Amino acid sequence: MDYKRDLPLAITFIVGIIAVLDYYTGVQAITDTFTIIKNWGVVLQGFALGLGAVNLFRVHGRRISQRREGSDWLFSGWLLLMLTVFVVVGLSTGQYDQGPTYSWLYNAIYLPLGSTMYSSLAFYMAYGAYKVLRARNFEAGLLFITAILVILGNTPVFPAIYPGFFHMREWIFGPIVSGAYRGVRIGIGIGAVILGIRTLLGMETGYLGRR
Amino acid sequence: MSVWEKLTAVPREVVMTLVVLAMIIPAIRPLGLPILTGDMSRAWYNTVEQLPEGSVVLFDIGYGSGGYPSLGPGNIAAFHQMFEKNLKLVIMATALEGTMMYPLIMEEVKPEENYGAVYGEDYVFLGYIAGEQTAMAGVLGDLKSLVSTDYQGTPISQLPLLENINGADDFALVAYLTTAGGVAEGWVYQAYSQYNKPLLGGCLSMMTTSIKPYYDSGQLLGLMDGIKGAADLEFLTGHPGDAIVSSDILSFTQTLVLVFIAIGNISFWMTRKTKEEES
Repeated sequence: MDYKRDLPLAITFIVGIIAVLDYYTGVQAITDTFTIIKNWGVVLQGFALGLGAVNLFRVHGRRISQRREGSDWLFSGWLLLMLTVFVVVGLSTGQYDQGPTYSWLYNAIYLPLGSTMYSSLAFYMAYGAYKVLRARNFEAGLLFITAILVILGNTPVFPAIYPGFFHMREWIFGPIVSGAYRGVRIGIGIGAVILGIRTLLGMETGYLGRR
Repeated sequence: MSVWEKLTAVPREVVMTLVVLAMIIPAIRPLGLPILTGDMSRAWYNTVEQLPEGSVVLFDIGYGSGGYPSLGPGNIAAFHQMFEKNLKLVIMATALEGTMMYPLIMEEVKPEENYGAVYGEDYVFLGYIAGEQTAMAGVLGDLKSLVSTDYQGTPISQLPLLENINGADDFALVAYLTTAGGVAEGWVYQAYSQYNKPLLGGCLSMMTTSIKPYYDSGQLLGLMDGIKGAADLEFLTGHPGDAIVSSDILSFTQTLVLVFIAIGNISFWMTRKTKEEES
């Protein structure tokens, strides 16, 4: 018996069956059991965060000690330094992330950086639209027209001039986009059901880190 | 190199500099363009308006610093409306950084000052709950077995608002704003599919295409799509903020994008035509 393989598969099967029974039967004893399991899940996820932090130290600590050329080990050092600073500041005040120093660190450094990272997408999207959005053939032409209509409807100035742009955008988002995406979602849903059944039966072991 | 060929290859630096200018000019001199509200945001607004006073809403702050510029203004407008309606708010975060977004939002909303709301009686913040869908299932299934204190460490037995709240049955509405696709869909599975709860969603504009089918099917009663949805809600609630200001910036930058798309296409076709004629 391969305990490394069989034990997680058995746990998955038991938990999965309880989840399915809870959904379909609604028997109180099963619901109560599943509530406990869900709470365990939340606690486990909390621990996973801690484990993730430990893993960050392991991976980036190795990169720093090896100092390979082109490995950007200085960034690894900076990551670990900031990780330590945030943890120490949070724990030392006893107020965690609600302390004034921690809030200042977050609001003055991390928040603007995070917002900037996301906002910088605007520049690349503008340049990307200019370089890529070209009506080279029929299919690209269709994409081009749709994109132009969506931009016209999404940009406040154009519907202000002609409200029809806004309604065209709404129509594209309705029957065209939702219709197509619903088909995709149904496909994904069927796939998820099959994956769930395979996982329950122990035929899917990818989540164990093996093929 | 012909003029058309040059126009097909405008340097990245030039495009980006013009985008910067298109952002700065309306920020300095706003145009104050009219807001044409979308049906998704109107549906959000109307759903909240129809709730009876004192109804309890479960609200998930599912975004962090990256999503704040898009979702923060909408969150502020949503809270203004909810406090104005005297709704009770149970706030949680499925995003780790949600705990840092909460004080930023509350600094703007000022529930005590503006609406006479009392923490613990009219609203509570449970903090970050790990696990995304597991967290949602836990909160909706049996809140008190999952959470023993609020974010400040106050036992929930000392919070009058939570006295009679045990799970999904006690929430009149579930609402979320998130940058994560898994969270956006997770709430549909956990709140709507499992408990048939009225559900409002909010996401980044780029996620709208993937989330809107849930709105069309009635699983989401309203959808706030990024900064546009936030501007709509600010307008509808009568609390103009950053999103309405951003509308002018959006107009300028997107018009510039359209101009560049036009330049790119005209120059592309003219270059192709010239080459065909030459050959």
